[in-house]
Amino acid sequence: VIVGNYLAAAALFLLGLFTVLSRRNLVKIVMGLSLMESSTYLLLISMAYRRGSTAPVLLSPPSGSTEQSLARGNVADPVLQNFCLTAIVIGVAVTAVFLSVVVRVAQHQRSTDSDQVRGMRG
Amino acid sequence: VTDAGLASVLPLAVVVPVVGAVASPLLARVSGRLTLAASLVAMTATTVLLALPARTVYGGTLLGHVVGGGRPRHGALLQISFTADPFGLTVAILTAGLGTILLLATLSELGGLGRGELGGYACLVQLLLAALIGSALTSDLFNLFVWFEVAALASYGLTGFFLDRPPAVEAAFKVLVLTTMAGFAVFLGVAFLYGGHGALNFGQLHESGLDAARTSDSVALGLLICGFGTKAGWVPFHGWLADAHTAAPGPVSALFSGLMVNVGVVAVARLTLQVYGSASIPLHDVLLVLGATSALLGAWLALGQDDLKRLLAYDTVSQMGILAIGLGTATAPALAGTTYHLVNHALFKSLLFLCAGSIVHVTGLTRLSDLGGLARQRPELAGAFVVGVLAIAGVPPLNGYASLGLIHDELRTGRPALFVVVLVAQVVTVAALSRAAYLVFFRRRPEAYERLAGRRPGMLAALLLLSGGCVAFGILPGLVLDHVVSPAAAALMHPQQYAVTALQGGAHAAPASIPISFDYLSVAELFTTLGTVLAGLALAWWYVRRPEPLLMRVARAVHTGSVNDYAGYAVLGTVVTVTALLLL
Repeated sequence: VIVGNYLAAAALFLLGLFTVLSRRNLVKIVMGLSLMESSTYLLLISMAYRRGSTAPVLLSPPSGSTEQSLARGNVADPVLQNFCLTAIVIGVAVTAVFLSVVVRVAQHQRSTDSDQVRGMRG
Repeated sequence: VTDAGLASVLPLAVVVPVVGAVASPLLARVSGRLTLAASLVAMTATTVLLALPARTVYGGTLLGHVVGGGRPRHGALLQISFTADPFGLTVAILTAGLGTILLLATLSELGGLGRGELGGYACLVQLLLAALIGSALTSDLFNLFVWFEVAALASYGLTGFFLDRPPAVEAAFKVLVLTTMAGFAVFLGVAFLYGGHGALNFGQLHESGLDAARTSDSVALGLLICGFGTKAGWVPFHGWLADAHTAAPGPVSALFSGLMVNVGVVAVARLTLQVYGSASIPLHDVLLVLGATSALLGAWLALGQDDLKRLLAYDTVSQMGILAIGLGTATAPALAGTTYHLVNHALFKSLLFLCAGSIVHVTGLTRLSDLGGLARQRPELAGAFVVGVLAIAGVPPLNGYASLGLIHDELRTGRPALFVVVLVAQVVTVAALSRAAYLVFFRRRPEAYERLAGRRPGMLAALLLLSGGCVAFGILPGLVLDHVVSPAAAALMHPQQYAVTALQGGAHAAPASIPISFDYLSVAELFTTLGTVLAGLALAWWYVRRPEPLLMRVARAVHTGSVNDYAGYAVLGTVVTVTALLLL
């Protein structure tokens, strides 16, 4: 199961990278970066996985187990899940900035073609 | 005050500017001037806070503070920990102090902005400075990534600050794409290292060591070097740098070039020296190659520019290359020279960018071909610019001489091929900057300027302070060497004590300072300087008198300005770096 996750993450990442490198439409570049971003989420969540583990939630344990037994037992790695949450927050902020810049470019240039947005070169 | 008390001050150095950043937009509702005054107070307070532990740290004690007061369990620590070693503290103090001076310059250059804009500007600047100080002090890999992203977000805002100017928006988009990709590289690198070792704390990572046989470790370090290398502006990750500097206002360019690029250098120094200093994979050779490429290509591109700020930006690429060579050489004198040069570069490059900003403000022109003869109208600008150029050229009593001298001394005996590379880069750098100084200030301009804006006291004060800094760090090399950069080099060379402090917190004895001598009047170094300056002047003289050489046309044609191409270069560089680490 988990190998499938890694492969899916790699495929998503490469698809996003291909978009960034080959598409000239600025919106598509942003979409490609978002794809790469989501592939890292998938990868990290998969790295946090352990066979047969439960969610790393220690509050209100299910009947028959205590917090201590949960903490000692088999849980998914909370640190990597934490990474993932942080990355999602950062990703949302960056995408917002990205799209506002694209809107400005479209207003100035009347185009979202990256070939039209290269006044500075050399 | 106890050592533990001093150590607990460290997180405050980040908290204060963040509070200032949050307060700025609110204060701006009352008055724009009040906002800038409050920001100045916040940054001055940060400088003072960082100066408190300075005596102890430079005196031979490393201070660490674990946020939340945790202790390592079974050798593992997941809390964020801040550590002041002489290297990180030097960068942090430099950032806070120079940031204060740059805010002062802003007061006069952008003082005429609306209240809302000033509030946003002050907020972004303090956020950026907080992130830079945090990245210099933190000893937690994930926290370093967070500061990287905070600095990145602030830099997007500052690059695209004037959203009504098309170049600013264009530059902002390029910075966004390349820095976001660098962020992915750093993020994946952190995740792979954590996946392999279960550690984020630098001390714990150091203890756990590096397994050269494990693919994920080599991939992780390759990704980290490339991600942070993007921030440092090393070739081929440098596509964003020149555009961002060209489009931003003068003080912002000074902030980017003087301080922000250092994040990359500091992070790479921590990883390649303090965490994995004795690793068996060729981290240092990768740095040498990146450094040599950046030093040569950056200097060459600087020579061909017609926009003053763009020229200075490409020179930053070149200087960052020199720093990478210093880090890759990894001997005590080279590291002392690198730390010294990092400080010097921040001083003279901010000085030059403030001059460039003033020139734009005074004349309204940015192209070298439109400028000329300014030395007569604005002698104070000419003086400051020439001080900056002489400092970069490493002319003796200015600061570049001592730091370049230390690096030269080490390379001359140890790595002659790299010594030649550094000298060639130095010659081209001298040529590029003397060409700029000649075209802006000393060439006769056929017609008089239509209008020249007046002088502003804040800018003059900033120029005076920075020129003074360039002179002071040049005439007191013994003091800087013994009390600042030798301890920094020792901390980088002997990572054991840093690792213990990062993991445990509290005060620990620093590694014994390695005595490094620098002969100020060494004949070899004086001749090297004289030779590079003369050769540089000759190259500049030759260059301005003939059509653009083929090599320059090629170098410019490669920099197409298309964001797809720049992203492609960065990906290619990353693939090559990771492959090299895996195979060599």
